[in-house]
Amino acid sequence: MTRYALAIDIGGTFTDAVLISDGGQGWTDKTLTTHDDLLEGFFKAADMVLVKAGIELNQVNDVITHATTVVTNILIERKGSPTGLITTEGFRDVLYIRDEHRYDMFDPQIEYAEPLITRDFTWSVDERIYADGSVGKEVDPDAVAEIARQLAAKDIVSIAVCFLNSYRNPDNERRFRDILSDIAPDLFVTLSSDVAPQMREYRRTSTTAINAYTVPTTRPYLNALIDKLQEKGVNHEPLIMLSNGGVVGARTAATYPVRMIESGPAAGALVAGFIARKHGIDNLISFDMGGTTAKACIIQGGEPLVIGDFEVDRRYRFKPGSGMPITVPSIDMIEIGAGGGSIARVDSLGLLKVGPDSAGSSPGPACYGQGGTNACVTDADVVLGILDPLNFLGGDMPLDAAAATASVKKLADTLGTSVEDAAHGIFSVVGESMAAAARAHATDRGINYRALPMLAFGGAGPVHACYVAERLDSTQVIYPAMASVLSAFGTLVTPARLDLARGGLCRLSDINWADVKPLIADMLDEGTRALLDAGLDESAAAFEFAADMRYVGQQNEVPVPLSGDPRQSENQGDLRERFNAIYEKLYGLRLDDMDIEVVSWRVTAHGGEAQRAVTVSLPDKEGKPKSHRPVYIENQRIEIPVYDRNTLAAGQNIDGPVIVEERETTAFILPGWNLTVHKDSSLIASRQD
Amino acid sequence: MAKLDGIELEIMWGNMISIVSEQAKALQRIAFSPIVREAGDLATGLFDVNARMVAQAVTGTPGHINSLAAAAGHLIKVIPPESLYPGDVLITNDPWISAGHFFDITLLTPIFRNDKLIGYCGSTIHHTDIGGYGVGAGARDIHEEGLWIPVMKLYERGEPNETLHNIIRCNVRTPDSIFGDLAAQVSSGKMGGERLNAMCDRYGLENIDDLSEEIISRSESATRDDIRKLPGGTYHGETEFDVPGGELIKLKTELTIDTDKGEITIDFAGSSGPSLSGINVVTAYTHAYSTFAIRSILNPDLPNNAGSLAPIIIKTPKECIVNAQYPSPVNARHVVGMYVPFPILKALAQVVPDKILAEGSGAVWTIQIQGRDRQGKPFTSSMFNYSGGMGARKTKVGLSATCYPTGVAAVPVEVLEASIPIVFTCKELALGTGGKGRYNGGDGQRIGFRMRTGQEWLLNAIPSRLKSQAEGIFGAADGAAGQFLVNGKPSSEAKKVVMQADDVVLMQTPGGGGYGKA
Repeated sequence: MTRYALAIDIGGTFTDAVLISDGGQGWTDKTLTTHDDLLEGFFKAADMVLVKAGIELNQVNDVITHATTVVTNILIERKGSPTGLITTEGFRDVLYIRDEHRYDMFDPQIEYAEPLITRDFTWSVDERIYADGSVGKEVDPDAVAEIARQLAAKDIVSIAVCFLNSYRNPDNERRFRDILSDIAPDLFVTLSSDVAPQMREYRRTSTTAINAYTVPTTRPYLNALIDKLQEKGVNHEPLIMLSNGGVVGARTAATYPVRMIESGPAAGALVAGFIARKHGIDNLISFDMGGTTAKACIIQGGEPLVIGDFEVDRRYRFKPGSGMPITVPSIDMIEIGAGGGSIARVDSLGLLKVGPDSAGSSPGPACYGQGGTNACVTDADVVLGILDPLNFLGGDMPLDAAAATASVKKLADTLGTSVEDAAHGIFSVVGESMAAAARAHATDRGINYRALPMLAFGGAGPVHACYVAERLDSTQVIYPAMASVLSAFGTLVTPARLDLARGGLCRLSDINWADVKPLIADMLDEGTRALLDAGLDESAAAFEFAADMRYVGQQNEVPVPLSGDPRQSENQGDLRERFNAIYEKLYGLRLDDMDIEVVSWRVTAHGGEAQRAVTVSLPDKEGKPKSHRPVYIENQRIEIPVYDRNTLAAGQNIDGPVIVEERETTAFILPGWNLTVHKDSSLIASRQD
Repeated sequence: MAKLDGIELEIMWGNMISIVSEQAKALQRIAFSPIVREAGDLATGLFDVNARMVAQAVTGTPGHINSLAAAAGHLIKVIPPESLYPGDVLITNDPWISAGHFFDITLLTPIFRNDKLIGYCGSTIHHTDIGGYGVGAGARDIHEEGLWIPVMKLYERGEPNETLHNIIRCNVRTPDSIFGDLAAQVSSGKMGGERLNAMCDRYGLENIDDLSEEIISRSESATRDDIRKLPGGTYHGETEFDVPGGELIKLKTELTIDTDKGEITIDFAGSSGPSLSGINVVTAYTHAYSTFAIRSILNPDLPNNAGSLAPIIIKTPKECIVNAQYPSPVNARHVVGMYVPFPILKALAQVVPDKILAEGSGAVWTIQIQGRDRQGKPFTSSMFNYSGGMGARKTKVGLSATCYPTGVAAVPVEVLEASIPIVFTCKELALGTGGKGRYNGGDGQRIGFRMRTGQEWLLNAIPSRLKSQAEGIFGAADGAAGQFLVNGKPSSEAKKVVMQADDVVLMQTPGGGGYGKA
């Protein structure tokens, strides 16, 4: 019997579907996202690919995977259910006070988002855990009963509980929950010691609040998905993509929606890792450029990097610090305000700037002909001749070249250059700013970005990737197949995975392994349960161990992968050596005489790699250019050949400059590069030196 | 090299800013000094061969950033370029050359390209300790405040200056942390040089002379153009505030806008005279906070460099708290320095009322605690700080528990409780302490703590505005003054205080002033 696997990725604009069979056949399609009822789009997209394959939903007997923007939408649109916050007495304003940091020193006009849970929905409890984990004061049951009455009076359906030092000892949080659950059994309760048991009260409270705020909407959504699938004869639980680049069962995911925030982008990064492995490449930089932003992610050893915290919903000019912090593991990506719709302008110093302001999809770039007059990146691409105005979205959306030229001319006049030079300036400046962001991101992580191959996708990625690659001294750019539904495909090649962390501050010089053991055991239990829920056999479960460490006296930790379960070796010398080596690589420094401390222990539970792939058949005969057009490169117009991607044969070899068009995007290969067609239908551009 | 156009310049300039920003980020991550890692109290900059600052990290505090801009020039006056070699690293913590007190150590690394000097990479960070009195305003002259490192080579041709290393090691309380942070600064300077050379390779540059000239002259003329758009004339501003021990300080400014030259001159004549406690401010630091105030109001988007700073001229009279003279103590100069922008804002209120903000709580309150834990082991906390409310803006309230002009973060309660035997009893907003107005000033906060040591301990606290309030502007009310209570009773000491085992401290930081009639 043929086995089928289905993936649905609900994004901000489109809902994408990918269906593949174990015979290597694949079907893809996309439909507009249905924001009022996301599941409507889910099943519509599913039907579209099922019809193409000629099967029913109940024949999908391998996995159904799902990436979704549902949690992010609840946060950004602030449409969660009434949620309460419970803190230690005296610390009720933790979400208002934040960390007191003014994130842009020079700008006196900065703003922050209103706290997710406001003061009138916050209660505090006279309890105390000390920093050493000892209990200063227990939770009083009468006080809990009183809070329960007030919660009910305000129709609160979900609460976040975050007590001081609960990362050291969760007893008071648990006691509070247990007493409350007896009185109000239907209340959703999120404990900070469950969701993010790590030091630093503001970040932990923020993470707990986000989870509590989104759980009453997310859990019914995922339950409805499970129910509807069952109605249609699918009895296995769907798998949900998490921010850390792993999938877990929908029921596990429903408890911790805060782990799902970067669901879609994580799937994109995952697929980059998959393609890297398929091509035998260890390290790679993925470059996904869309309409408003570009995202880059570094793949190391065939896997995307995962970090312990990130920020969501940046409210003031996309600035770091203006959003809400989250301490759960997430694929490590940078996102910058540079996309096809990014607006170009000349600033007061006479310098050409591009982004982060964007014309969005409405009015969009001038060439969209919807009334926009600002010159955008896409306008420059049209003026330069890289994009064919009559072939945008396969000709479904013709562009207005005259409007593009007029918009760029205004900038050219200010700069005192020709229209072409101004357009090329926009092309270069946006390319350089993406390269600069990628360089900073790589340097920050102690990675040498030079000569890393690049993977280009997203609507604008293939247009700009070659130029960005040159700025990064990269010599290879891969343009994958299925680029427009790549994230959905990513969820199908993702192993089940859960990343867990437990705070456990101790110095290596006097580490007490008896304290460490229960933390690790606890994480192994939780990880195993999640893998079983995801339909995995216990024997397929694998665990990796890491510790966040620092020199005593420092405040920022470095995650250090360990060779195995640290409880077995109990070898602090090994921990010390591993930390020193990683630290030296990151910062060019090694402080051998300093004591080292562990801040948190980490366990990653994962299943084996999902072996799913699509085989493609390419034309036998090498394709010929469908046309030639003049493109402005290096101060002159050059006639360059334009190919239709569908006509290219495996192994076909073309010298740049060349343009390869497909429905959703256009790959632009610069002079000095050579293009070959891989048998899996990816295009590979290599620099000829 | 041909004259740069706006496109090439943007690309290379962006490159230089990313070089210094990456260094600053790395330094902040690995710093031992808590005020650096939690609060970002550091600066990194790139300088041209004439020691003019060309690019600066988009992080840090005003006091450091603009002091570093001037420091490079002072350093190479002492050790001139002809006596510099690859592998050299210059060092100083001279308050008058660097950032106003001994804690701030500045390192400058010359950058060579094909054996020719092409520029410098500099950093200033606030170190954990520098010997002497420690944190606080209690020293009676500068020599009590700690180790004074004149301008010297910390490394010469790649070799450490062992004599200097030994002197530092014997004169500070936490040598491991100091050398950890110095090593990070040295490595950061080296990386900055390598990155600048890589950029020159990429764009085929022999040096950065033309690039630097273009950046600095464009920044300077844009700043002068912005100043020319303002109404010319002379405007006055004045602010008053109390400091630990109850001393009342007055800062007066006469701000002159010269629309011909496109220049702003700020004269502090009429301000308070020198103080006996360690709150005197060297002119470099006064200059730093004054230029910051102008730049943040006038054109916050413009990059900070020698060009954008040049059209702002600061004058300080000889006998003045904002022109400290040897041997005045200067350790806690931030208490006064962070108020320097307020009289300037009040003068600017008559010029650009839409862009200014009302007076805020002023300086962050800083605290250090020393004692012995229950096992008898001595401990010294790092310096930690808390903000009051910020002044209101034309169309926005002032931020609560957030400081302007500095923007330093607070150390989390859980981090402090894990590092010393302290227990916090509260940290919450003091609602209603911001001045009422069309837009209210930001609220201060209430912070309470006690120790879990069962014995005497030492408190070194630097509150301010316990009497004088942050003024509301354009008809709005003033913010509430702060309170510093020990066991419920007001207390204000300029020196370290011996505390009893069960003493409870309760602080309420001041509220910010409102904006406009309610």
